[in-house]
Amino acid sequence: MIYPFFQLDVFSQRAGMGNPLAVVLDAEPLDSAQMQAIAAWANLAETTFVLAPGTPDADYRVRIFTTRQEIAFAGHPSIGTAHAVLAAGMATPRDGVLVQECQAGLLPIRVNEVAGSRRLSVRVPRSRIVRFADGNDHLLRQALRGRQSGQLAPALVEGGRRWWLAELANESDVRTMQPDFAAIRALAEQTQSLGLCVFARSPGQPHGLVVRAFPLGVGINEDPASGAANAAIAAFLDEAAALGDLGDSYTVSQGREMSRDAQLLLHIDSERQVWVGGHCQNAIRGTLRW
Amino acid sequence: MHPPRRFDQLDVFADRPGAGNPLAVVIDAEGFDTAAMQAFANWTNLSETTFLLPPTQPEASYRVRIFTPRQELPFAGHPSVGSAHAAINAGLVLPIDGRLLQECAAGLLPIRVDGEGDRRRIFVRAPPASIVACPVDAATWQAVLDELALGALPAALLDNGPRWWIVELADEASVRGMTPDLAAIAQLTESTGAVGMAVFAHSSHPDYQIVVRAFCPADGIPEDPVTGSANAAIADWLHRNNALPARHYGASQGREIGRDGRVDVEVDDSGAVWIGGQTQTVVHGTLDW
Repeated sequence: MIYPFFQLDVFSQRAGMGNPLAVVLDAEPLDSAQMQAIAAWANLAETTFVLAPGTPDADYRVRIFTTRQEIAFAGHPSIGTAHAVLAAGMATPRDGVLVQECQAGLLPIRVNEVAGSRRLSVRVPRSRIVRFADGNDHLLRQALRGRQSGQLAPALVEGGRRWWLAELANESDVRTMQPDFAAIRALAEQTQSLGLCVFARSPGQPHGLVVRAFPLGVGINEDPASGAANAAIAAFLDEAAALGDLGDSYTVSQGREMSRDAQLLLHIDSERQVWVGGHCQNAIRGTLRW
Repeated sequence: MHPPRRFDQLDVFADRPGAGNPLAVVIDAEGFDTAAMQAFANWTNLSETTFLLPPTQPEASYRVRIFTPRQELPFAGHPSVGSAHAAINAGLVLPIDGRLLQECAAGLLPIRVDGEGDRRRIFVRAPPASIVACPVDAATWQAVLDELALGALPAALLDNGPRWWIVELADEASVRGMTPDLAAIAQLTESTGAVGMAVFAHSSHPDYQIVVRAFCPADGIPEDPVTGSANAAIADWLHRNNALPARHYGASQGREIGRDGRVDVEVDDSGAVWIGGQTQTVVHGTLDW
């Protein structure tokens, strides 16, 4: 069978600066095992499969696979999939909104056309603080060794999946960090989490926060642009009443340490819901034969 | 912005999509500089990405540059087989008497094309291999080979571009059922400058004569799905020991990690090893970069 296919660069102003995503459209003939095999073969963090919606309230349905398993929700696959659906002309936003059906439910995606460039943002199921770190979190302390901490104590948060979030004192603490992958992997296993995200405020920069994400719990050393993790950081800052000068909208710089340069837009709306978004580039467009 | 370039993502050593080893190929790569090639190869996240260019030498059919996510390679087997497939399909080259000459950083390499359409098989002549004398202490071997049923030939370290440890096991079941000790293999390969360790056994299966698995844990790849250079090194080792199943045989690799690759191996009258197979075009489209 031949399927329409995209490989996009998500959270990117220019091809190659963001996080790649493979999208297979019209995926009805594929069964779960075939979807998993395609995602393993494509070898990206995620591959998505677009299907007709199961409810009239949704514009399309998406299934999201890592190279190992299907997941209920993730940020960059949601943004990239919506971009592919629009590029293929499969759906039209209603009042500037698309509704995505996925395992995590129906999620709205806002579509903004700004100066000929399309920006999408998805409302992310809100994560909560599970607990703050204490003196017994030796693996976390080892992972953060040599880094100067910021105003908040590190915390374990959960929003579908778990992350350790750690604020560092300043941007250079984040950018120059040489992650201890063994410690982060052990931390992820011990706490059933994806791993560790570090961030710092960047006063005087175009971006409000600088972020790095180390999802060793799914076998990835570093992620170039993380939708759900950034939404978790925004929810964490909001819950801890620590947004400060960031306000309810800010941008994030991520990925420069791995030769990318992603930009993400975070927004906390009046109902304290978190939205993450950005631009996408259509890098590869064609067909997939499977 | 450059107009979209033709782009294919192929499955190499595969008789159907998903059975083999993926390869990204940028077909009209003129104007891509080295940094852009490296950035794109990092972004595809595949073991190799290649870029097709006009040849700079009059005898060559086409020129290819081969990149892993981290660096450029002078030569590699599955990228050569796949690049020739893409060049023919894109109409860049026409085999003459079933031959092409590939220009790559390792020099001019002959390519043989057998058959047409879906049944087409493309072979590349592997660089000659040499045996590397490299003593390994007994404890390291003990850790790697613990509880494995060994075959007739001794283990050897061969260099045909990359270095491979080649270990014969007693039978197909020993290869397929092996649970590799990746930490021990990483220690062995790192301490001897090898890219990985390949195990193989003779098989009585009607469709293939050798079964292979290749482990590169020190390179971040626990197990490679289908490996041109390792299969070439195994053929060379068998030939040196008068143990080839035939001058032309089939190897099965990748089933243990959900693939089903098939490598056709040939040892010609001069003793040179040719590796080849079928390639499937999986993604066919354009690239904006």
